[in-house]
This record gives sequence, structure tokens and C-alpha cells, in this order.
Amino acid sequence: MRLELRGITKKFGSLTANDRIDLVVEPGQIHCLLGENGAGKSTLMNVLFGLLQADEGEILIDGEPVRLANSGDAVRRGIGMVHQHFMLVPVFSVAENVVLGFEPTRSLDRLDYARAREDIRSVSREFGLEVDPDVTVESLPIGLQQRVEIIKALGHDAQLLILDEPTAVLTPQEADALMAIMRSLTATGKSILFISHKLKEVRHVSDVITVIRAGRVIGTVPPTASENELAAMMVGREVSLVVDKTAAAPREPVLEVRDLVVRDDRGLAVVDGVSLAVRAGEIVALAGVQGNGQTELVEAITGLRHVESGSVLLGGRDVTNRSPREILDAGLGHIPEDRQRDGAVLSMSVADNLVLNTPRRAPFARHGTRNLRAVRDNAETQVESFDVRTSSVDAPLSSLSGGNQQKVIVARELSRPLEALVASQPTRGLDVGSIEYVHREIVRVRDEGHAVLIVSSELDEVMALGDRVAVMFQGRITGVVDPSTSREDVGLLMTGSTPAESR
Amino acid sequence: MTTVAADVTVRPPLGRTQAIGWFVVVVGLFTVFGMGVGTGSAPHSTLTFTPIDVSHGAPWHLGNLTLPTEWTLVLLGALIVALGAEVLVRRLVKGAMVRVGLMAIVFLVAVLVWASRQPGPSQVPFINVTAILVGSAAITMILIYGSLSGILCERAGVVNIAIEGQFLGGYLVGEMIDSATNNWLLATVGGLVIGALMGWLLAFLAIRYLSDQIIVGVVIVTMFTGLSSYFNSWVLTPYPNLNNGNIASNLAIPGLMKIPIIGPTFFDETGFFYLMMILVGLVSFALFKTRWGLRVRAVGEHPQAAASVGISVERTRYVNVILGGAVAGVGGVAFAAIQGQFTPSITSGFGYIALAAMIFGRWRPSGAVAACTLFGVSAYLAYNLQSYQVPISTEILLMFPYLITIAVSAGLVGRVRPPAADGIPYSRE
Ligand SMILES: Nc1ncnc2c1ncn2[C@@H]1O[C@H](COP(=O)(O)OP(=O)(O)OP(=O)(O)O)[C@@H](O)[C@H]1O
Ligand SMILES: [Mg+2]
Repeated sequence: MRLELRGITKKFGSLTANDRIDLVVEPGQIHCLLGENGAGKSTLMNVLFGLLQADEGEILIDGEPVRLANSGDAVRRGIGMVHQHFMLVPVFSVAENVVLGFEPTRSLDRLDYARAREDIRSVSREFGLEVDPDVTVESLPIGLQQRVEIIKALGHDAQLLILDEPTAVLTPQEADALMAIMRSLTATGKSILFISHKLKEVRHVSDVITVIRAGRVIGTVPPTASENELAAMMVGREVSLVVDKTAAAPREPVLEVRDLVVRDDRGLAVVDGVSLAVRAGEIVALAGVQGNGQTELVEAITGLRHVESGSVLLGGRDVTNRSPREILDAGLGHIPEDRQRDGAVLSMSVADNLVLNTPRRAPFARHGTRNLRAVRDNAETQVESFDVRTSSVDAPLSSLSGGNQQKVIVARELSRPLEALVASQPTRGLDVGSIEYVHREIVRVRDEGHAVLIVSSELDEVMALGDRVAVMFQGRITGVVDPSTSREDVGLLMTGSTPAESR
Repeated sequence: MTTVAADVTVRPPLGRTQAIGWFVVVVGLFTVFGMGVGTGSAPHSTLTFTPIDVSHGAPWHLGNLTLPTEWTLVLLGALIVALGAEVLVRRLVKGAMVRVGLMAIVFLVAVLVWASRQPGPSQVPFINVTAILVGSAAITMILIYGSLSGILCERAGVVNIAIEGQFLGGYLVGEMIDSATNNWLLATVGGLVIGALMGWLLAFLAIRYLSDQIIVGVVIVTMFTGLSSYFNSWVLTPYPNLNNGNIASNLAIPGLMKIPIIGPTFFDETGFFYLMMILVGLVSFALFKTRWGLRVRAVGEHPQAAASVGISVERTRYVNVILGGAVAGVGGVAFAAIQGQFTPSITSGFGYIALAAMIFGRWRPSGAVAACTLFGVSAYLAYNLQSYQVPISTEILLMFPYLITIAVSAGLVGRVRPPAADGIPYSRE
């Protein structure tokens, strides 16, 4: 299918999210959209999928102008979309999610589950996307949930597939698998619109790259353009893609866990005797394939999960099984992995989200009464210095783009007095400019003499940011190595084997 | 929004469940030692099974059953202890709720056995099992209409706290039409229309103006309570002919009604009771087996996801809230059909108990039927235990359903998970 967008303009109040955008996607092409957080990529995709109505401009499919009043129309026209924030009903089964809106039925409007399963199996077979149609979606890991989204899109015979930041939540292995799937789809003549902030994979997989900044098309370039060129086009200035930092000067341990055992919701010991000390003035990066206990370890440290045995010490104080409130007040900064669930209140304003964990402290409150002026002033400063793109500090957080939501959380955690910082996937979904900024801020926190623990599934980030790299596998730390260690050796540790020269 | 379930377990829920387990055990021990042991071996409790109203012909006769009070109570108490022990030993979290429900029923039976012992203080020397069930069935029926209304609305993501008002509306209109025409079918149509209109009003305010659904619901109830009182004094008092309808007569099903206990309870009822049974089946089927139901549930769980496949969230919610209103309106007519004359506030909070039963029943018709039965039986007993000289006041006993509801919705018993988008206004942009 050949898709053409002509002069698409979309405004939210005074903010122009899309400004006369022109775009052409040829059949069999992987077309990548690149742009800063808040550049208007998701907005454009939502217009194309009929979820939002453009204020101006037209959409042409195979040369013919079409009107997409809702996403049902888009699907009938052969467009499928995998959303940045998945559109799956957690309590429904895979089959129910896939057929929703286009259900096969028998007499009396009854759902035809047999046919639904069969349809899913045939899509699975055709594109090599295995998944059990009968499990509930909420019990699936995020990589498989995404697979369900793809099956859902393909199930309705999509000729154009929109993938909005599909790799942000995937492990590198899952991302590679996705790239392979994308290739096999275009081989059958389907077109793909792909959004990602990871320049490496963008260059690797796309046929054409269109760069958008502040709602406008800046240019269209071939994938041979260098990462630095792409970054500069996106952000409008030179961006440093490597982390500048001096050697660490570690002092006494600040954040320590000793023989920690933590169980997951099913009662399995997913953290199984972990001991780790993070010293003042150093960054320890925790590497590992997702699902090896990193999430639960962080939850235990921050008081979000019950510690079965062992202890957590912060600045020499035992904070094992204390409430998150006490732990935060004791000086722990926390950037959670799932920002929308644990990090922010989407319906509250940007300003309120920026003081979410210090609302009772001076200057934001006095004598139990909130000081709204201080909250506002604080918000103005943070929004300015972290370059959060929002129409105002009073806008609800939900109206911000995904990357800008993340910036709000990072800004909040890095701007209060800290002993130690725990950051899970701190740059997930951020554009290169913002990544540069967040990395610099994390190094600054370290240089001010705080202990920093980073959890990331991006090996690049782990190796670039960490002063020491701890590798976790099946609930245990399999090794703590220097960041100069070869990626192969770290990779081995991540699968539980011990390379010869690691200490 | 991520699709991962939002129930992060901060503390293991085991502690709480354990507390519930112990509570059940204590109730059981109280039954054994507080009521059972010590009543002595002399007293006996007698169960009879003959219905009071035998105008349609009595069911096949069952003799009386005389039980030794002490041993029966010890047995019932032991049963309760076993339920508690099961919760403790098997560390039940989900099943705890059902066990508490069972405990409540067994305990009620135990209280009856204890209260009716002879020789004893009771003026009624026997327990008429059939009469209790028949009496409870009427209350239960009203509650089920309310719960079904709640389920229809909340499964689509709109909280219908206005059920009480819709009951009142259906009651008033139904009673007037019946008084004027002596035709319950017409009355039902009238109640259906007024209920649907009130549902539409709720939907309009909640969906069009994104108002807080609970506030809108409370406003509708308050408004209609005032309105109907006003109407009562300005129209019904001067024209009493509009407020003297008959009680609906029973339509006994020949044959089936001859079955002891079951016959009089289920097959010698008003048309409203049969309609309720049909509705329960229909709503269950429609919600969980059909395309329509899948879409409704998607709208209640994740409206954005529903919209992203072309389902109209607004329309689905309108339809369901209007349907829910209609069902509650018919429930109001059913209320009038068993109770008669309208007086202000005659529905006395049944709409809210129905909502509680819906929560206890986990937003499922089958669960709601079980919860409504429990609440219906305990409400009936609360009104009638006085005749047994039970030293507990009616008011305290009437609190029972509410206490259970608080325990359930505060997450003390088991885990209830409402539709994820329940009560949250939806807007496109
Ligand atoms: N519903 C809305 N109401 C008001 N403003 C909105 C709304 N949705 C998006 N915006 C604004 O439109 C701009 C573009 O947002 P969009 O989500 O398209 O960005 P994006 O390019 O996808 O960014 P990211 O890479 O962070 O996902 C942002 O400034 C955002 O705040
Ligand atoms: Mg986006």
C-alpha cells in the first residue's frame, strides 16, 4: 500500500503538535520517523489511525483521499497500529484481545472462540509469532504482550503497520527478533512506519528516515546518514553520544544490601541471596536480561516489596521493610521502571507531579498547608532546566508525550537532597538529546558524592555509565566487573557462565 | 497505560487472610461454646416445612424434623471452625470470601436453631424453613434487580449509585399505573420507561459533561426522593385512588410447585420473580458469551483500547446505563407489586444494598445472586427474629449486609477487582 500524508496539521489548544506534515510511505518500505520527545510523532500516528482528527490536510491511500473518522475506519482501510502504550485489556485472553472490534460470531451474537483461535494460529504460523491464544494478557511478559499487539494489527490484514516505539520496552534480544519480523513483513509487500529513539537500530532497519522537530518535517534522509548527523537534525544542535565522565572517587558504602531474599507474586525467590554495596561517589550499573530479579531487587530496596530475609542499609541505617515514604525521606531517589504505574499520577498536573514525594516538606508546604506559589515556581524552574515540553506546568501529565513524562520524573528525583539514587531504565523512551542530559545529571549526582545504582537492559548504557558493572542472573549476582570488560564476557555472565578472567 | 495489573503487593496479603481465618474460627467456637454447649440436653429445635400461604395448594407434605439443640449447634459450630481452618491451612486468598459467605449462612441457621429451642423463651416453637425462604425470596428478588442494574452499568465503566432513585421511580409509577388500570404489565412498562429515563439522565451528565458519576448519582437519588415526596403529598394524598393498587398475585407453576421447599420458594411466585430469573440468565449470557458483552467489558476495563479498535465508548456506555436504569425501574415496580401503597422513601436503602451485593458478587450475575440471597435472607430474618425473642435488636441485625460489604470492599476478605475503568469519565483527547 502506498500512503501519502499531505499538509497534516493538528493543534491542541495553542500548541501545534503537527505543522503541515507531508510524508510518503512506499509499498514494502520501512519508513522511520525520528524526532525529539514531543516532536509530534505519536500525534501524527494517531491522526493516521483515526484516533485523532486532523485540523487540516489529507490522507491518501493508493492515491485516493480517505476520511478516517475512527480507528475502525483505519483498520478497514488496511492500517494496523502498535501503540506506544499498549492498547490491550489486561484481564482478557490473547484471543479476546485480538478479535476485539472484529469478532467472529455464531448464532445469537455468540463469540466464535474456535475461529478466533484458528485465526490467531494462522497469523502466528505465517509470521512466526508464537503465542498461546488462551492465556490472559496480564500474565504475559511485556515482549509477548507486544507480540499480541502485532498479531492484532496483522490479524485484520493490515497492509501498513504503525509501530510506535516498539523497542523501548524490549530487551535487546526481543528487539532483534522484532527487526527480523519487520523484515519478513515487508518482504510480503507490507509497509511499516516505525518510530524509535535508538539511532543504531533505526539505521539498521529502515529504508528511509524522516526527521521531525517541533511538529515540522526537517528532512528525509537515507539510512546511510551517520548517527551524529541524525542526532543533530533531530535536536537542532550537536549532541554528544558518549558519556563524558572522570574516574570515580568512591568513598564509604552508602547503599548496601546484604543476603537479600525477595519473593515475587507467585512466591518464588526471585532475589536469592544478593549482597551489593554502592559507595558514595560511584555509579554501579546492574546489567542482566530482564526478568532475572532486577525489578524485584529495586522494589525491595525502595520498600515496594516485602523483604523475606536479609537487610537493606541506607547511609548506615537499616531500612529493611520500611515504608516507601520513610525510605524516600531517608534520602533515596527512585526513578521507577514503569513510569506510568509507579512514578507519576497521570491525571495530576506537571507541577504537582514534580513535588509528588516532597509535598509535606518546606517550601512546598507550611503548617500542613500547601504553598502553591512555591510548587509553581519549582515547576517553572524544573521544566526549564530539563527542557520538558509542555503547554504549561498546570497541564495534566497525561497530555505530555511519553518521553516528556519520563523527564518530569527524572527532574523530580534529581532535584531533591539525596543520599543515594536508584534508577531503573532511566532513559527508556528518551530522545538522544534528553539521554545526553539525563546521563550528565546522573554523573553530576555521583560527582556530588552520592551513591548511584542504575538498572538498565541497554548494555551500551550500562557500560558507558557504570563505574562498576554488576551482572545479575536468576536472582543472584554472577559477577561484578570493570566497565572495560569485553561485552562478550559480560554477555556470558548474563547467561550464568563465568568467563575466565573475571574477578 | 501499561497493561500490567496494578496490584503491587506491598505487604503479603497473607496476614490479612489469616486474620479472617481466625475470625471465622472464633465465630465457630462461639457457636459451639457460647450457644451450643450448656443449653443442656433437654431443649429441642423443630423444623417444619409447610408454607404459610397454601392458597394454590400445599406441596407434598414433609413431616417435622426435631433436632437436639445442643448437638446441632455443636455440629454447625464445628462446620464453621472447619471453614476457618481451611482458610488458615490452605492460605486461601481468593476463596476466603466464599468461606465468609458460607460462614454467615451457617451462623444464621445456628442462631435460628438456638432461638427456637423448646423449652425456651421463644414464642414461636418451631422454625418454618419454607416460610423463611419464601419471605426472603421477595427481598432477594428486589436486590437482584438492583444488582443486575449495577452490573450492566459498571461493566461498561459507569457507577450507577442512582439505583435507589430508580427503584423509587419505578415504584411510584408502577403503583400509580396499577392503581389506575389494575394491570401489572402496563405498570412494568411504565417503570421501565421511567428507569430508562433516569438512566439516560445519569449517562448524559456522566458522559457528556464528564461529571463525577458518584456525585451525579447521589444528586439524582436526592432529587427524586424530594420529588416523589412532593408528588405524594400533592397528588397521591388528594387522589388516593391512584395509590391503592393490588399486590400482584402469584402464578404458580403446576407440578413444580408441589416440590417441598423448592416449589413454594421458586415456582409459586409473581411474574416479576420469573422475569428476574430470566434476566439473570440473559445478562450472564450476554456479558460473557456474546460479542456485545466482550465489547461492553472492554469499554469498562480499558476504554482507550476499545476505542482503538473502533468501538464507540460513549454509545456503549449510554446504552448500558439506560438498560441498567430500565432494569432497576422494573425492580421498583416489582417492589410495588409485593409491598403495595407508595409512601415516601419506601425503598429504604435497598438500592444501596443491591450495589453492595454486586460488589460482594464480584460484578458477576451469578455472584450477585448468591450475595443477594445472603443479604435477602439476613434482612428477612432481621425483620422477623423478634418473634423468637432473640436478644439482638433488629437495627443491629440490619447492619449485617453493610458490615460484610465494608469488609469486602476494604479488601479485608479476598480480593475484589472492579472493572479497571469503573467510574472514570472517558474523553477522546
Ligand atoms: N491530548 C493532548 N492534549 C494536549 N497536548 C497534547 C496531547 N497529546 C499530545 N500533546 C502534546 O503534543 C506534543 C506532541 O506529542 P507526541 O505524543 O506526539 O510526541 P512524540 O513525538 O510522540 O514524543 P515521544 O517521543 O516522547 O513519544 C507534545 O508537546 C504533547 O505535550
Ligand atoms: Mg510518542
